[in-house]
Amino acid sequence: MIEADRLVKHFRSGDGGIVRAVDDISFTVTSGEMVGLLGANGVGKTTTMRMLATLLKPTSGTARIAGHDIIREPLAVRRHLGYLSATTGVPDRLTPREVLVSYGRLHGLDEPTINTRVTELLAALGLETCATRPCGRLSTGQRQRVSLGRALVHDPPALVLDEPTSGLDVRGARDLLEHLERLRGDGRAVLISTHRLHEIERRCDRFLIIDAGRLVATGTRDELAGPTGSLEDAFFAAIDGGPPP
Amino acid sequence: MISGRGILAVAGFQWRRLLAPQRLLLAAAGAAFPAAVVLAARRISGSLDRDAAVLLLYALIPEAICMLGLLVTMCPVVADELERGTWQHVVVRPGGRWSLLAGTFLAAVSWTALVGLFSLLLSLAAAGLPASGRLGWIFAALILLSCCGRAALFALPAVIMPKRALVASVVAAIVVEYLAGFLPAVVNQLTVSLRLRSLLVEWMGWRRQLPPELQLLVDDQSAGIQVLAVFSLAITLLTAAGLILSWRQFPPSEEV
Repeated sequence: MIEADRLVKHFRSGDGGIVRAVDDISFTVTSGEMVGLLGANGVGKTTTMRMLATLLKPTSGTARIAGHDIIREPLAVRRHLGYLSATTGVPDRLTPREVLVSYGRLHGLDEPTINTRVTELLAALGLETCATRPCGRLSTGQRQRVSLGRALVHDPPALVLDEPTSGLDVRGARDLLEHLERLRGDGRAVLISTHRLHEIERRCDRFLIIDAGRLVATGTRDELAGPTGSLEDAFFAAIDGGPPP
Repeated sequence: MISGRGILAVAGFQWRRLLAPQRLLLAAAGAAFPAAVVLAARRISGSLDRDAAVLLLYALIPEAICMLGLLVTMCPVVADELERGTWQHVVVRPGGRWSLLAGTFLAAVSWTALVGLFSLLLSLAAAGLPASGRLGWIFAALILLSCCGRAALFALPAVIMPKRALVASVVAAIVVEYLAGFLPAVVNQLTVSLRLRSLLVEWMGWRRQLPPELQLLVDDQSAGIQVLAVFSLAITLLTAAGLILSWRQFPPSEEV
């Protein structure tokens, strides 16, 4: 389960002022649920996700991942969380197998566990045929699947995925999202952010819409879309107070 | 939580990056430079006596080549990860920040020491000195100590100001190692250069021949104390860098 409890994050701006990147956000993602985090660029989605992943410390508030507090138990949180970002950051010179093995070691897993897990992941993510090819020679979709494998190598119960379909073509995005649905089906809590509403509107159980660092709407697709039936309209209504011109 | 396996995994990443053809070429050119200088010196002066050759090699390998190698390998410990988008994927692991620092340190020291040793072999051959004798072991030890101490020194600016780590490290090298290191005051006790110079003088048996004014530039304690001082300094600097790195946060806007 992923629980955010009144998360706040302020950054100091270049001119000495304070930027309120995230402003009092609370939500819950239960096990076996996939929740979409929606918002325009720069409204605090990535900052929220990075606080959940213990990459940034909240200015106030807290969050729990699988019951572990991000401030008091960051190591336990990291053991229970899979994190994926839009920038794949996959080393060009390593093969997918080497990447997954290295990150398994970084997690402190033993060699037999790593070997079993890596073989399972390569098969599940459709990377068996390119497992020994350097990542620099893989397609964007394949690299993103390697990145997803890296987030899953320690079999975490909670996943925080920041724009996982960024840069992928339609097929690549669909394959990745189908895999995420299977992970949700395994009982994992999945929080996913994206700009592409159409990709996730039928896949997520609920949505959180944030604007200027604040949570402005939350609910299922049907609850948010209302009579118009359009999640996109609901999104613009939430952030602008009405549909786009 | 920091694990040896995590450190080795990071060191493995870094070694794979260092094995790129451009880096290998750069390392080969750097390693050949001292030998070229020694050959040039022999040609200009007609002959180069043993002590002069040792002094020249000391200035060129444990000081210059090791320093330059570490600037290239240790300084980008954080900046490279931020630029390549791997920072968040490494540090989101338990003990990821410490593993990143210690693994990069291990890779930087082993890589630079190997380049230094290769350079030493070429240079000793160029100077007409035997590589297998005592002189070879003295220089091998000085290279290793130089790499350990200076890599830890460069780790500090690398974590404090990642985007200007190279400039900050050059300043640290000049101010700490070459200004403070040559001051006949207590502050020079905190430098690697004093320890290396003192070890060279001790191991070469030069102490009694040193004129009084040069005695001020070396420490008179035993070789064991000098070695211990370098390792203590390295551990202290690395621990400080690790604590700073544990606390550092980088807003998403600081990544490329």
